[in-house]
Amino acid sequence: MNKILSHTISLAFVSVSFTLSASQELIEKGKYLADAADCYACHTTDDGQQYGGGKAFPLPMGMKIYSTNISSDKTFGIGNYTLEDFTAALREGKSANNGYLYPAMPYGSYALITDDDIKALFAYFQTVPAVKQKKTDNDVYFPANVRTGILGWNMLFLDDKRYLPDSEKSENWNRGNYLVNSFGHCGECHTPRNLFMALEKDKPFQGAVIGSTWAPNITAENLLKAGWGSDDLASLLRHGYSDKGVVTGEMYTVVKHSLSKLSEQDMRAVTGYLLNSDEYIASKTPVYDEKVITHEGYPTYMSYCASCHGDKGQGKPNFAPKMLGNGTLMEPNQYNVVYSIIGGIDSQYYNQVNSFDAMPSYQDKLSDQQLLDLMNYLSASFTFDKKEFTAPEIKALRESVLESLETEH
Amino acid sequence: MTVMNLSINNNIVGPIEVDPEIMMIEFLHEYLNLTGTKFGCGGGICHACVILVEDEQGMLKTERTCIHNALVFNGKKVHTIEGHATKDKYGEIIALHPVQESFSKHFSFQCGWCTSGFMNETIALIQRLKKDPIKKTDVETTIEAALGEHICRCTGYVKYYQSAKDLILSIKGLTK
Repeated sequence: MNKILSHTISLAFVSVSFTLSASQELIEKGKYLADAADCYACHTTDDGQQYGGGKAFPLPMGMKIYSTNISSDKTFGIGNYTLEDFTAALREGKSANNGYLYPAMPYGSYALITDDDIKALFAYFQTVPAVKQKKTDNDVYFPANVRTGILGWNMLFLDDKRYLPDSEKSENWNRGNYLVNSFGHCGECHTPRNLFMALEKDKPFQGAVIGSTWAPNITAENLLKAGWGSDDLASLLRHGYSDKGVVTGEMYTVVKHSLSKLSEQDMRAVTGYLLNSDEYIASKTPVYDEKVITHEGYPTYMSYCASCHGDKGQGKPNFAPKMLGNGTLMEPNQYNVVYSIIGGIDSQYYNQVNSFDAMPSYQDKLSDQQLLDLMNYLSASFTFDKKEFTAPEIKALRESVLESLETEH
Repeated sequence: MTVMNLSINNNIVGPIEVDPEIMMIEFLHEYLNLTGTKFGCGGGICHACVILVEDEQGMLKTERTCIHNALVFNGKKVHTIEGHATKDKYGEIIALHPVQESFSKHFSFQCGWCTSGFMNETIALIQRLKKDPIKKTDVETTIEAALGEHICRCTGYVKYYQSAKDLILSIKGLTK
């Protein structure tokens, strides 16, 4: 009798352990996916507790909305959510606590997430530490404060469909497509928006203004044209740094809190999808031609840029990116190049072995003519297509950058 | 090679042939043996290497020499740490600059690597205050804003800041 009882207890113990272990596995998966979705970046302030919300998002006309508390707190967070509530928030932008969510929450992208992955995310968010922080009231006025208006927007622009694999493509490509377009919600920044602020789905990844930076064109066609390869793209997304350049602006936090945590396999899937290839692609670099030292922009480059970026654009590893073959220099829109020169770049800290000092601003050092000469020198020396810019083009970009800097401060 | 002409510590330098790839700090060290300007981070962050550039109105502004090529200073009038003390006709120092006196009095520096940078910045600040005096209550914040980008690895900030504060309050006309 004792033996039977003992066996029964053992079996029950095994069963409980198995349930706990399965649940833990689901939570771990949910954590990984929450990182892939970069929930942290929007739902945590710089000095706030994880997922406590309260981060401000500026809207036109001086309005602001604030992210919500998505910690497990039952009063202020989503601890009282059911799986159905959670799913509705992610896929349809319907919050059980706050009504219709503003589309700053990328539910249009998260709608692609599968049921299984949503379950994992839900399991994880039920375990994150509760943060007792009330939601900051949005600073919006009519008509932006009428939340039911968002319902109309959803009816027009929300495509509530799960990801459907493309049977003609590989498993790796499909995984990359799923990660990039659902969790990664890359299109939310890199795809242009129409007058109603909805994504122009016929122009995927063709680049768009986001805050004070230009989210570049990341179509496979453009990346390949600029010489991006599998290793450089993976390095950029994992470390924020590569032989083809660095990330700046909001992409820094995307790398820091999200992309740097992708598994090797998922990173291969993402780069394979972005470069639209299942094969390894080697990066391409233009050949530096010594003759460029006669260019009008050469003295300016040597005066202000060469000490860090190298006299031949070779850069300094983990300090200043290469200019030779730099992807940003070959982006069709040169806003980010002018922004970097005129506004400088803030320092970036990923971890103790991967961090970068700031780049100073050269606004008070370069005349319009010097900036034009420099831009043409950079293009002539370090790119494939060697574009020639005109004075009005560069002046307009400079003015646009200055306006943006003024708004930031 | 590039030909440069400039004024350093009120002495004309040039025409002199200079390698177009060298930084200003290398030019000062290797061509002119002016080694008082120190190479710190090499990335424009610590400001140990700043020298003073004088504009057409005679106003002084600091400029980093580790990230700026020597060519940037071509045709300019610059001042380095070697030029601040008063010297006799034999080149012997007969009087320190008031900022040098003040830094010495306050034992402002330990290893001294960042001192020439702090010195030049403080000299520029004093000159600016002579032109645009500030309220006594704003002295500390003004010093913090002016010297705030300078890094001291020995963490001697208090003594630098205290020295600058005492000097500003002791010179007539800098505060109102």
